[in-house]
Amino acid sequence: MGKTLRVNVGDTTRFRVLSEDQISEILGAALEILEGVGVKVNDEEALKLLQKGGARTEGDDLVKIPSALVRRALQTAPGRIVLANRDGGRDLVLERNRIYFGTGSDCPFVIDPYTDERRQCLFDDVLRAARVADALGDIDFFMSLGLVSDVPRLTYDRHQFLAMAMGTRKPLIITCLDRNGLADQYEMACLIVGGERTFQANPYFALYAEPSSPLTHSKEAVGKLTFAAERGIPVVYTPGSSGGATAPATMAGILAQGLAETLSGLVISQLKSQGAPFIMGGVHTIMDMRMGIFSYGAPELSLLSASMTDISKELNLPVFSTAGCGDAKILDEQAASEASISLLLAGLSGANLIHDVGYLESGLLGSLDMLVLSDEVISATKRILRGVKVNEETLAVDVIANVGPGGHFVGEEHTRRHVREEHWLPTLMDRTNREGWEKGGAKTLGRRVRERVIDILEGYEPDPLDGQLLGELKTIVALADERYAEK
Amino acid sequence: MSSTVERIRREIVSGHVEESVEAVKEALQQKIPPQEILDDGLLPAMERVGSLFQEGEIFIPDVFFSAKAMHGSMDILRPLLAPSRLMEMGSVVIGTVLGDIHDIGKKLVSTMFEGAGFNVVDLGVEVSPEAFVQAVEAHQPQIVAMSTLLTTTMMNMGATVEALLKAGVRERVKILIGGAPVTRAFAEEIGADGYGSNASTGLEEAKALLAALKGEGK
Repeated sequence: MGKTLRVNVGDTTRFRVLSEDQISEILGAALEILEGVGVKVNDEEALKLLQKGGARTEGDDLVKIPSALVRRALQTAPGRIVLANRDGGRDLVLERNRIYFGTGSDCPFVIDPYTDERRQCLFDDVLRAARVADALGDIDFFMSLGLVSDVPRLTYDRHQFLAMAMGTRKPLIITCLDRNGLADQYEMACLIVGGERTFQANPYFALYAEPSSPLTHSKEAVGKLTFAAERGIPVVYTPGSSGGATAPATMAGILAQGLAETLSGLVISQLKSQGAPFIMGGVHTIMDMRMGIFSYGAPELSLLSASMTDISKELNLPVFSTAGCGDAKILDEQAASEASISLLLAGLSGANLIHDVGYLESGLLGSLDMLVLSDEVISATKRILRGVKVNEETLAVDVIANVGPGGHFVGEEHTRRHVREEHWLPTLMDRTNREGWEKGGAKTLGRRVRERVIDILEGYEPDPLDGQLLGELKTIVALADERYAEK
Repeated sequence: MSSTVERIRREIVSGHVEESVEAVKEALQQKIPPQEILDDGLLPAMERVGSLFQEGEIFIPDVFFSAKAMHGSMDILRPLLAPSRLMEMGSVVIGTVLGDIHDIGKKLVSTMFEGAGFNVVDLGVEVSPEAFVQAVEAHQPQIVAMSTLLTTTMMNMGATVEALLKAGVRERVKILIGGAPVTRAFAEEIGADGYGSNASTGLEEAKALLAALKGEGK
């Protein structure tokens, strides 16, 4: 794995969507929504925390949050969070402009790489996805990609976590049914890393939780949020609103409401435990007004993600972003285009955790093909992000003088010295001439991608979990199965 | 056709809520029979809206406003129409299942149903199997429609079908399910009668189920 790329600094390519004035107007609108409109909080503990903290409650569950509370929460939240891999290595440093890419989670369907059949996701599919993610050089963290369906439904999240930890040593972002599901996964993670203190020093996973747009925090979401805050588990608190349906149709309105939703989560987390690690999110896009779907391939999704990232830098909060996903049904030309536009934009924006790589079918299908193609697109994206290095050596005036008009540069030492660093080389994109391409079987990108998927599945073995440890993890899962089977 | 009925059609297709209601009132003042207002005004208007939507000429919010106009007009006509005619148009009890607070998809479906002339009883979100049973007993609908966005709450659709069976009201109704993770295979698995992959196919399915129910003489 290459070194972390920090963008929008030094020689790297600069990019931003929102001006400072625009950010301040959007933030003002979000604060007004919190103070004037309020949010629904369907959880007793959080309601009490908010009341005690100075928020005004109306009726059973409406909470109006004064902006002073938000300001205070922004001050106590850590501006940087580190996520560690299974062996404790501090791989992901979530700081301004440091970018990392990873999968999304919980798609109900997969395409079987051997039969091409679209079917429900099984335990082995999540294990496969984890192994592929582990093998890919530009995938930095792993979410389950699929939703495990061949296990008891009330404890599927523990099984899913087991598959994830078995398949990859990369840092994880997990999902859970509720607090109990989180508690079990936390216990499993502590067992893996060697205790609670080690987990807290080097968190092996972040938790994904989501409020429901518009402006509602469900009991489950808040329960997860406060459980995590208490234990120092980093939380990605990410509303997913669809413009024109669960949020206004306008981009600025989506951003203002989305920000209000994630910031109210921040307030709850900081009231529960000052300094609790909080990652702001927002998977915002439009609802397609003909199909009624939440579009994962819309250009607006990328525009909104990059905007949220601009805002996160102003707030000094790590940010969760979205790319490498689409509405296409298989890895076709549409999918490739959706992946390319979104990955480039998210990378340019300098977002920390860029997730959902591998999503197709508007989030219903986790695709290993899309994941593998995206890995290549990310690699190319990073070349663009590294930008243009300008100094005496790279300007190469003396080399140009040496070659002179009419000469060539192939024989220059300068060329040999710089070509590997300055030129990006593809591994999937085809640059052979037509004859070479035809000799190689005239394969489309889709076929080359699938062959890479199969190569990884058959030829790559991730570092295994220790046998005894695996047994203990399975015991925790089995105990959970028993507890729920009794009910 | 009277020019007022024509105007009703136009206003509903354009999604002008107040204007539609005004036009209906005017038509009644002109002694145009309510039945005629419904059959020549409201229903053809919503059919036109449906086909414009299918052709991609208009979008979901446009349909929403037309449905609102239709609904507002129906509120005036309903007390004046023969009960048998109302029964013919069908009624539906709808809700998002227990454990899920997602509202928007179900609301869109409700609106489409209202737009098509169904009498819709919307039970809201997090509706328990028992609440569905009670609503079926209280409102005597022909269709029970359930929605969920979460894969984790899909099983509560099955639990609702079970509850309707246990309460002995299953045979009276047709059960329609929908939501992003739901498939036709899942509908069959839990013993539902129909499945809609989006609001408009849900409506088509509901109409077909209603016709089937009539065929069974219920």
